[in-house]
Amino acid sequence: MASLKTYLIISAACVSLFQLAGAQRKDQCSTCHETLGDKPTLLFAQDIHAQKGLSCADCHGGNRNSEDFEEAMNKSKGFLGVPKGDDVSKMCAGCHSNGERMKGYGSRLTTNQWETLLTSVHGKLSTTGKEHIAQCTTCHNAHGIVSVKNPVSPVYPLNAATTCSKCHANAAYMRNYNPSLPVDQLEKYRTSVHGMKNARGDAKPAECASCHGSHDIRSAGDAKSRVHAQNLPATCARCHADAAYMKGYKIPTDQYAKFTKSVHGVALLQKRDLAAPACNDCHGNHGAIPPGVESISKVCGTCHALNADLFSSSPHKKAFDERRLPECETCHGNHEIIAVTDKLLGVGPDAVCSRCHSEAENKKGFTAAQNMRGLIDSLESSKNHATALIEESEQKGMEVSEARFKLREVHQARLESRTMVHAFNEQRFREVVEKGMKTAEAVSQEGESALEEYIYRRMGLGVSTLIISVLAVSLYLFIRRLERRQAGTTRV
Amino acid sequence: MNSLGKKIYAWIDERVQLQNLVQFLGKKYVPVHRHSVWYYFGGVSLFLFLIQVVTGILLLLYYKSGEELAFESIQYIMSKVQFGWLVRSIHSWAANLFVLSAMIHMFSVLFEKSYRNPREITWITGMLMFFLAMGFGFSGYLLPWNELAFFATKVGTDIAGVVPFIGKPIMIFLRGGEDVTGATLSRFFGFHVAVFPGLFTLLLGVHLVLVQRQGMSEPLEFEKTPQASHKTMPFFPNFLLRDLLLWLLVLNLLAILAVFFPWELGKKADAFAPAPAGIKPEWYFLFMFQTLKYIPAQILFIDGEVLGIMVFSVAGFLWLVIPFWDRKSSRGENNRFVNYIGLFVVIYIIVFTIVGWLL
Repeated sequence: MASLKTYLIISAACVSLFQLAGAQRKDQCSTCHETLGDKPTLLFAQDIHAQKGLSCADCHGGNRNSEDFEEAMNKSKGFLGVPKGDDVSKMCAGCHSNGERMKGYGSRLTTNQWETLLTSVHGKLSTTGKEHIAQCTTCHNAHGIVSVKNPVSPVYPLNAATTCSKCHANAAYMRNYNPSLPVDQLEKYRTSVHGMKNARGDAKPAECASCHGSHDIRSAGDAKSRVHAQNLPATCARCHADAAYMKGYKIPTDQYAKFTKSVHGVALLQKRDLAAPACNDCHGNHGAIPPGVESISKVCGTCHALNADLFSSSPHKKAFDERRLPECETCHGNHEIIAVTDKLLGVGPDAVCSRCHSEAENKKGFTAAQNMRGLIDSLESSKNHATALIEESEQKGMEVSEARFKLREVHQARLESRTMVHAFNEQRFREVVEKGMKTAEAVSQEGESALEEYIYRRMGLGVSTLIISVLAVSLYLFIRRLERRQAGTTRV
Repeated sequence: MNSLGKKIYAWIDERVQLQNLVQFLGKKYVPVHRHSVWYYFGGVSLFLFLIQVVTGILLLLYYKSGEELAFESIQYIMSKVQFGWLVRSIHSWAANLFVLSAMIHMFSVLFEKSYRNPREITWITGMLMFFLAMGFGFSGYLLPWNELAFFATKVGTDIAGVVPFIGKPIMIFLRGGEDVTGATLSRFFGFHVAVFPGLFTLLLGVHLVLVQRQGMSEPLEFEKTPQASHKTMPFFPNFLLRDLLLWLLVLNLLAILAVFFPWELGKKADAFAPAPAGIKPEWYFLFMFQTLKYIPAQILFIDGEVLGIMVFSVAGFLWLVIPFWDRKSSRGENNRFVNYIGLFVVIYIIVFTIVGWLL
């Protein structure tokens, strides 16, 4: 009996101890704030931080074990309250920038988010001048934070565009920082292939962070930005050149490889010419979509305006439209547009005209292409002849700077003729070429005159040297005779 | 002389007593000794100066001063004007040969001590003409208004500007403002075709009159040997004919240089363009330019460049007044000290010019 009594006492003591221990483990912050129906506290229950054992007090300070709210939220004992401004991000960085601590929670996240945020466009000072534009909570929320892979996360690929647009679609807000920045990105995005697929629940197509990055977002004009003109092709290629990733979308993955070899790619990526187009200049950026057959000439025409105008009024316009041929692309290709040479014109093996204008089926077009090629070749050879003559004259020290200047006009006519090709009108083409050839002929004449003058000068020098030599020898003989005579006179 | 020649001579003689001049020249003798060859450089310098005058006047017929016209007018002279290229090239080559010949003439006079009493004024006028020749070169270099000349003038006038107190006003006076502009070109043109030729002609007149009045200077050794043992040659016609022979050869040399090495025009000056690499002054300024490059930025409490300019100025002044401090030569004694200085200066100029040219 005694032993049963002892057993009961010990059991009761154990239960009481367990109850006490349980009561002490229960976070008093949550206990009270949940009772008050505090929304952040209720959200925190689902928060990844709560799941990792963190309490309200880890961010807000105070005593999580005290039931006495005055003691629990005593500022003199470390209660912080609601952090403001940069203190929010600094609070997050306290753990997220500490590799050791993060490892303790089993995290594999990088620990440079705060550091990179400070270098980003969002890390600049806000209009208040007291804090940075964006804090961690701006995108991730403060309570109820879940993993980025969790579909309810505001930064989950399907939600990212909406999250970013909270600020970026707000004209009144955005004008404080960048009044020239459009605020219709989300709207455009929803019309893009990426946006439409995203809206249908496909998390793979690009959303804001895919191109702009997350913590390290920089202005598009910043050379380090992923969307800076020179970096953009590589950014797009991260997905579009990845055959495994793109599997299922049924589009090629060699665009980037082709673009880097194209005249545009070489200009942009090798010559660092920012005027050359990147992917977005033809496909759009937020509203990215492949240009349709009918809009290709419009897209190319934004830069190649003259060519596009000439083409629109040319006989080819109707023929292409009827056959639903993409206008510029039919002859020049798309991603791999190579530097245009005269070989493209005519009926030779490299020419594109003969693809449609065969001698048997389309004699008129065939002859026109053949004639136009002949004309441009003649202009090229006249230009080369004139250049060679001027160079030779310069090498021989002749003053031919005026002719050298005129050579520019020939070069200009050559460029003009290449543009005029797009009118596909032999007569108009001939006029431009002949203008250039006339100038080239004038330059050649000047070059030839300079070379004739060069020979004339040398002959003149020869004659004058002969005359001077005869005079000098005569004078020498005269002096000798004179001095002999003088010596004779003196001797006498 | 044929009868027509005699008649013309008699006609002129009757009016201006030419016979007196011929008699005067006939009595003038040129000493003949182992250094006689140096006497010819005075004549060659005179000949080159006359060529400068003639070609300069011809260039003036087409040259247009002004920022917008100068380069184009030279381009026109070089390409369109009949023999314009020849006139311009001869003018440029003769300018350089003139400075070279004048330099040789100056050093020969120095080593022969020909500046000694009573020829002090001849030396002074010669030296002043030499300084003017450098002024001619400096001002003429800018006139084509090409890139190299523009920046060389900028550097040259900058150097003048570092002299304390008077440097800045001199620089502004030379440039016609704070910078090298069209105003600089206008005043350089004025100096080149009006001020300098006027002064030069005056000095040349005095120099030539003195040479004729005092005759050629005899070497110091002549003073120790009897007069009868001295070999001489009549100035007229013997020396003058030899002079003419040399002038013909120089003329031919100029023609060869002009045809084979036509003077380049280069690019038009652009004040906003970056200075091209290898800006150098004309070769006769190169030794001073190179020296200033080697002088440390600060020597004791004086700016290195200022010190360099002051040293060159003092040296130039001492050179100008040699006849007044070299009393030994005037007494007929051989002053080796002057020889050593002269030798040092010749070597210094040659070495620094070559170094400046190569680097």
